Amino acid sequence: MIKIDRSRCIYCGACVGVCPVLALTLKETFVEYNEKKCINCGNCAKACPMKAIDFKK
Amino acid sequence: MISRSDIVKTDYDVIVVGAGPGGSFAAKTAAKAGASVLLIDRRKELGAPVRCGEGLGSHWLDELGLKISPKAISAEISGSVLYSPNLKRAVKIQNPETRGYVIDRKVFDKDLAIDAGRAGAEVIVKTEVYDVTKEGGKVCGVKAYSMGDRLEATCKVLIAADGGESTVARLAGINSTASLYDTDFGVEYEMVNVECEDLIEIYFSKSAAPRGYVWVFPKGKDVANVGVGIGGLEKGNAVEYLDTFIKNNERFKNAQTVAIKGGLIPVGEPLKDLVADGIMVVGTAAHQVDPIHGGGMALAMEAGGMAGEVAAKCAQEGNVDKQHLMEYDSKWRKKVEPKLMRRLLLRKVLEKLDDDDFNTIFENLTDDDVDRLIKGDYKPVVKKVLIKRPQLLKVLSALL
Repeated sequence: MIKIDRSRCIYCGACVGVCPVLALTLKETFVEYNEKKCINCGNCAKACPMKAIDFKK
Repeated sequence: MISRSDIVKTDYDVIVVGAGPGGSFAAKTAAKAGASVLLIDRRKELGAPVRCGEGLGSHWLDELGLKISPKAISAEISGSVLYSPNLKRAVKIQNPETRGYVIDRKVFDKDLAIDAGRAGAEVIVKTEVYDVTKEGGKVCGVKAYSMGDRLEATCKVLIAADGGESTVARLAGINSTASLYDTDFGVEYEMVNVECEDLIEIYFSKSAAPRGYVWVFPKGKDVANVGVGIGGLEKGNAVEYLDTFIKNNERFKNAQTVAIKGGLIPVGEPLKDLVADGIMVVGTAAHQVDPIHGGGMALAMEAGGMAGEVAAKCAQEGNVDKQHLMEYDSKWRKKVEPKLMRRLLLRKVLEKLDDDDFNTIFENLTDDDVDRLIKGDYKPVVKKVLIKRPQLLKVLSALL
């Protein structure tokens, strides 16, 4: 599961592009996370250019 | 209040999702060809937030029939300067082909959407496509949230131009998920009190920007986009590299950040299929990005123009299955893909080199050599490098 720090997020959508199961949706000023779809791959946290995503297995 | 579903028709020849350069170009081209077009964007303000270095070569203006309004130009650029990892060598390239602009995407993108609107496309902002509708396996429309309404619109051809997220193509069943290996992740600060010339600056360094580079794109005499892109499998996150680069560089002592921009940059192969029944994918959403410098704007507009033209024709003729839409795929692969694949080959070689290799290469590189590399003529340069560093034979032989 992940935690997105909205105070760091610049809503660039990089995390959305690498999510293989569309568990993330880019909204206008934030990213929406659907925990039910998430497969815990951690790609989003690795991708985030702002280090705004905390990933715990 | 008039509901959004009252102002939008429900059936179009072409629906374009994403009003970036690729999407707006596609919408404009399709509308000019006589198609009924709806251009949808998620954002309330087109062009923002910016996720781009904002550089655009001026040769593209002729090639794309593009006019840039003076307001959309932040700075004119005469060429590029590339720095070796040890900063001992700088190679400058300045010729008619390296001229260009650093533009203001907020103005530029909006201008392109205005062009699409003037050409007859209906434009609707603050509208988020959350699903793609299908009939008998063929894409035939979208479902969207729009200002408190749910919109459903049908179309003969859907053009997915929604950028790096590439959500629309994936909702339609095309696998466009970005892989960490074939994607760079970048962040940049727009900074004031940064002295610059009219040159794009590129810094190669494995420690400062593994599998990517650091850039300074001037937006004026003392304003620049300063950014870092790194490979997706490298350690850490881009912002850590950018902060380190700025902290360790006297030049940014008085620099103030006035904007933060970022995003993903596909630097691998373009999608295997740019079309499926009833749908085309364009621009960064289709991974149509230069694998060396990561630029995507011009390529998106070029592809958008091709897609818009084919979409309008196919919609009007009523043949919108994959086989007919393939005309866009084939045209694009014939004209653009070979150049990109050649540059992908170079990227895959460069990523195997360490900073010492780069320093040696730079010591022996003339301005003309860099020009040759840019044009895809690798052989003479590789031969020269191998004389000085024969141990690179195995790595560099791919370019011979």
